[in-house]
Amino acid sequence: MKRFYFEEESIQPEEFHVPIYKRASAQDVISIGFGLFVLSYLIGFYIISITNIFIKNPMEINIGAMFHSPSFDHIFGTDFLGRDIFSRIVKGTEAFFFPGLLSITISTAIGMLFGVLSGFYPRFASRIISYILDIIDSVPRFIFILIIIVLFSPSIYLIMTFVGITSIPKIAAYVKAKVEVLKQHGFIESSRALGLSQMTIIFKHIVWLSSKSVLIIHATLGMGEAILIETSLSYLGIGVQEPIPSWGNMVAMGADYFFQGRVWLSTIPAITITVTIMGLYLLGDGLNSIYNEKVTR
Amino acid sequence: MITALKLVLKEVVYTLMLIVGVTALLFLFFNLMPGDFPGKGGGLPAYLNLLKRLFTFQFGVSVVSGVDINSILFPAFRNTLVLTLGAICISLIIAVPIGIFSAYRSFKGYSWPLTIFSYIVSSIPVFYLGYLILFFVSRQTGFLPIFYPESSAGKHRLLSYVLPILVLGVGNDAISEIVRLISSELGRVMSTDYVIASKARGESLLASSVNEGIAIPLVSIIFSKVPFLIGGAVIIEFVFNWPGMGRLAFQSTLDRDLPILIVIAFLSVLMVRAGMILKEILLYIFNPGER
Repeated sequence: MKRFYFEEESIQPEEFHVPIYKRASAQDVISIGFGLFVLSYLIGFYIISITNIFIKNPMEINIGAMFHSPSFDHIFGTDFLGRDIFSRIVKGTEAFFFPGLLSITISTAIGMLFGVLSGFYPRFASRIISYILDIIDSVPRFIFILIIIVLFSPSIYLIMTFVGITSIPKIAAYVKAKVEVLKQHGFIESSRALGLSQMTIIFKHIVWLSSKSVLIIHATLGMGEAILIETSLSYLGIGVQEPIPSWGNMVAMGADYFFQGRVWLSTIPAITITVTIMGLYLLGDGLNSIYNEKVTR
Repeated sequence: MITALKLVLKEVVYTLMLIVGVTALLFLFFNLMPGDFPGKGGGLPAYLNLLKRLFTFQFGVSVVSGVDINSILFPAFRNTLVLTLGAICISLIIAVPIGIFSAYRSFKGYSWPLTIFSYIVSSIPVFYLGYLILFFVSRQTGFLPIFYPESSAGKHRLLSYVLPILVLGVGNDAISEIVRLISSELGRVMSTDYVIASKARGESLLASSVNEGIAIPLVSIIFSKVPFLIGGAVIIEFVFNWPGMGRLAFQSTLDRDLPILIVIAFLSVLMVRAGMILKEILLYIFNPGER
C-alpha cells in the first residue's frame, strides 16, 4: 500500500510543494554527501594548519629521513628533504583557502550586481555590461593570468582577485536570466503594489529568496576552480614558491622523482587535489539537480 | 540565407569591437605597469599603431630576443590549433557515448561506474595525468617513446601528436560536464511527446531525439570550452615540451616579454571569437525554432 502512495505523490507535477529531501535522487544524495565530506576535511585541515596542532613542522628538513615510503610514523611518507608529506598537505590548504574565498566573494558579489542591473535595465545598462563581460570572457583565463603576472607582482591574492573577475560573466549571465524570468511573476508585481522599495524587491525577493541557490552552486564550483588554478600555477612555478607548501608545487617537486619509481611524492598530493576538486564538483552538480538549476562550470 | 549572413556580419562586427576593447585594456594595463619599459607610453597614437600592427599581422620584433615575432608565433599557433582541435575530438569521443548510455539508464544499473569515471577524469590535475600516462605508456611498456630526435621529427610527426592530444582531451574538465548535460537533456527530450509519438510510429528513439537532445547542447557547450582548452594547453605544452603558443606564452611570462603576450592574447581572442561565430552558425542550422 505504501508503494502506491509514493507513486501517486511522485506523479504530481507541482515542483514547489515537494520538499528538497524528497526531490533528491540516490545520485544527488551520494554526490552531496561526498562533497560535504570534502568540505569538512578542507575546513578541518585549514583549522589544523593555522593552529599548528597535531602536525609535525612542515618546513623541518631531516636529511636522515629522505624518501621514506608511507608508514605509521609518516602517514604519507617523506619527500626529498625528509619533510613530512602529510603535514605539508595540511599546511598546503592555506595556499588556496583564503585566496579562494576572496575569488568567490568577488565573483559572486560583482556578478550578482551586474546580473541584476542588466536584468532590470535591459536597454542601456545591459548593453554596456554585456560588452564589458564579453571582453573579460573572450580572453582565455590562463593567458589573462599570465599577463597579470608579467605586469604586477605574482602574489596569490592578486591572481585570485583576477580569477574572481574572470568568472564574473557566468554568474552575471545566470542571475540576469533568472531576473528576466522572475520579473514576469506575480509576486514581484504585488510587492510593487504593496509599496516596497526597488532595493527591497531586488535584494530580498529576487536575490536572497529566489537566486541564492545559484549563488551557492557557483561558490562551490568557484572554489574548485580556484584550487585548480592555484595548483596549476604553483606547478608551473609562478604561484606559491617552494619552501611554502602548496599542493601544486608538491606535485611539481615530486615529479622529478616520479620516473625513479618514488611515485608517492607526487601521487599523494595529486590524489588529494583530485578528490577535493571532484568533491566540490559533485557537490555543485548535486545541488544543481536538486534546485533544478542549469548551471555550467 | 540572408538572415544567416546578417547574423554572421553582426558577430564579425562585434568581434572587431571586442578586439579593440581587449587591446585597449591590455594597453592600459601596460601603461599602468610600474617601472620603465621599451615601448611604454605614447598615448593614443601608440595605441593606434599597435592596432594597425595587429590587424595587418605584422607583429614586430620581440623585446628580449630581438627575433621577428611572426616567424616564431605562427608555427606555434598552428601547433596549438592542432592540439586544441584534437583534444576537443577526443573529449567528444569519450563523453558522448557515456552521456547517451547514462541517459538510457539513469544512475542505477551499469552507468554509474562510467559517470564516476567521467568525474575522476575531469578533476584529475592535467599536469599529473601527463606524468602518469608518460610513466605507463612510455616508461613501463615502451609503447610510444618519450622523446623524438629532431632529425626524425618529420617521420614520426603523427605519432608524437598522440600523447599530448590524448592527455588534453581526457584531462580537461569538459568531459563530466558534457556527460551531465547530455544525459539530462537527452533524458528530458526522450520523454517529450513528439519523441514518444515517433517511437509509436516505430522509429528509433535515439534518432528522433538526436537533434534536440544531443546536437544543440553539444554545440552550445563545446565552443564555450575553447578558452579553457587554451588554458589547459599551456600546462600540457609545458609537460610534453610541445612547441605551441602556450609554452611561448609561459616563456615570455618568465622573460617579461610583453609584446609577445599581447599578440598571443590577440590570437586567442581571435580563436575564441571564431568559435563563437561557428557556434552561432551551427545553432542556426540545428535549431530552426530560434530563427
